[in-house]
Amino acid sequence: MRWSLAAAAAFVVLATVATFAQRSAVYDSERQVRLEGAVTRVEWVNPSAFVFIDVRDGGGVVANWAVEVGNPIDLERHKWTRRSVRIGDLVTVDGMPARGPNRQALARSIVHKASGKRLFDMPAARPGGTGRAGPAPRWPDGQVRLGPAPGQKGYWATTGAKALVESTASNVRMNDEGLLANLTDADRVAPMLPWAKAIYLHRQRTQLRDDPITRCMPPGGPRQFQMPNGVQLIEQREVGRILVLMGGGNRNWRVIYTDGRPQGQAAEAVLTYYGTSVGRWEKDTLVVDSIGYNERFWFTNGGLPHTEALHLTERFSRPDASTLKYEVTVDDPRTYTRSWTGGWTLQWVPGEDIEEYFCEEGNTP
Amino acid sequence: MRKVAAFLIASVIGLRVLAGAAQEGHPLTGTWSGDWGPGANQRTHITMVMTWDGKTIGGTINPGPDAVPVDAIALDVTKWTVRFDADAKGASGPVRISVEGQLNDIASAHRTITGTWRQGTAKGDFKLTRD
Repeated sequence: MRWSLAAAAAFVVLATVATFAQRSAVYDSERQVRLEGAVTRVEWVNPSAFVFIDVRDGGGVVANWAVEVGNPIDLERHKWTRRSVRIGDLVTVDGMPARGPNRQALARSIVHKASGKRLFDMPAARPGGTGRAGPAPRWPDGQVRLGPAPGQKGYWATTGAKALVESTASNVRMNDEGLLANLTDADRVAPMLPWAKAIYLHRQRTQLRDDPITRCMPPGGPRQFQMPNGVQLIEQREVGRILVLMGGGNRNWRVIYTDGRPQGQAAEAVLTYYGTSVGRWEKDTLVVDSIGYNERFWFTNGGLPHTEALHLTERFSRPDASTLKYEVTVDDPRTYTRSWTGGWTLQWVPGEDIEEYFCEEGNTP
Repeated sequence: MRKVAAFLIASVIGLRVLAGAAQEGHPLTGTWSGDWGPGANQRTHITMVMTWDGKTIGGTINPGPDAVPVDAIALDVTKWTVRFDADAKGASGPVRISVEGQLNDIASAHRTITGTWRQGTAKGDFKLTRD
């Protein structure tokens, strides 16, 4: 019993390390690994599922490998279930190995060895919008809705570029995790003070391995709109607030007050991951002013730093039913030489709700 | 018994969460504690609070009745070295404090500064750990 608990705990820690750490930090995309062996276990758990296989090396020694296959919600969306592979199946896995000594890999494909049937392919990114979208739905008074039309459901997913880069910069190449292709582009990402640039470069050079997300810390600031599994915007007009429900992160929620209250004083704010937000409508654009952030999180993919002086002005607009334009102006004079603006678009996912996605407290690396 | 066990489990979880909550802003801001001295058996406790206002890193050594203000702390971000001077109250006048250190483990919640601490004619090593 004691061993079972220890093994379970070890697995949970392993899984958490593997899935909530930035993938670039965990897996070496420059290397490939091919594993052949029998499936010994399938762990269909959030936030990432694993298939364990016994692999025999050239000397006949058998070692158990943990093969990450991704988030169960995404997998089921692609018709891959916990029964797609069975205990005892002989499979061939192609993927990328973990950077460290762990016998762990991220699967690109899994093929049933006997039949040659392709059991798994890494799901492609969610496709962008298809065709022409209709007009944005509106409330009876004509104001744009940020949620679904009456009687429908859906949520917003980040599908395009999702790195926060100053909008005047061009051709700054980085991956979805915010890792720069070229570190010399750092100055173009944002106008950082010297200490901030040094911290940013340190995070970049260390492959984002110290990202607080790896310790299940909430994705405050713009990062809440960069997470997998999207967000829902619940407009509660009768009480003057909008709830931002996050499918990624740790299933957190944020309140934007739209009841006309003034923004508080930053010095008096209780510092939190999502700050204190008040919003107002400027024609069809929701303008949200937020202060009161703590310093325990990275406010965007890629590790741009901030201090408690962070002041965000976010602009949400919905030019059509399928598109949410997100723009944020970052003002933090203790971190940046001037205020700067960036943003991206989110795509409407019709007919679906965000689903459970927890990073479990205490399962920290 | 169950209540005791539940309390212990909650405490462990709480401690782990606290341990995981690093300060991700300016690497020097916050409260640091440690000691300095010429040898292992001669140590003097230090508490130091550092602040960053966007232009200057300020500090206070041993906040309280014997506080020593530090006007400007120099941080070389190319090497993560720290340097500052201050004047402590002495029995016969101000005592100069000069400190040079290295910031270590900048990504850690409990990052450290280690180096050389000079106070008057005394000299020793020091270590400060961010609380």
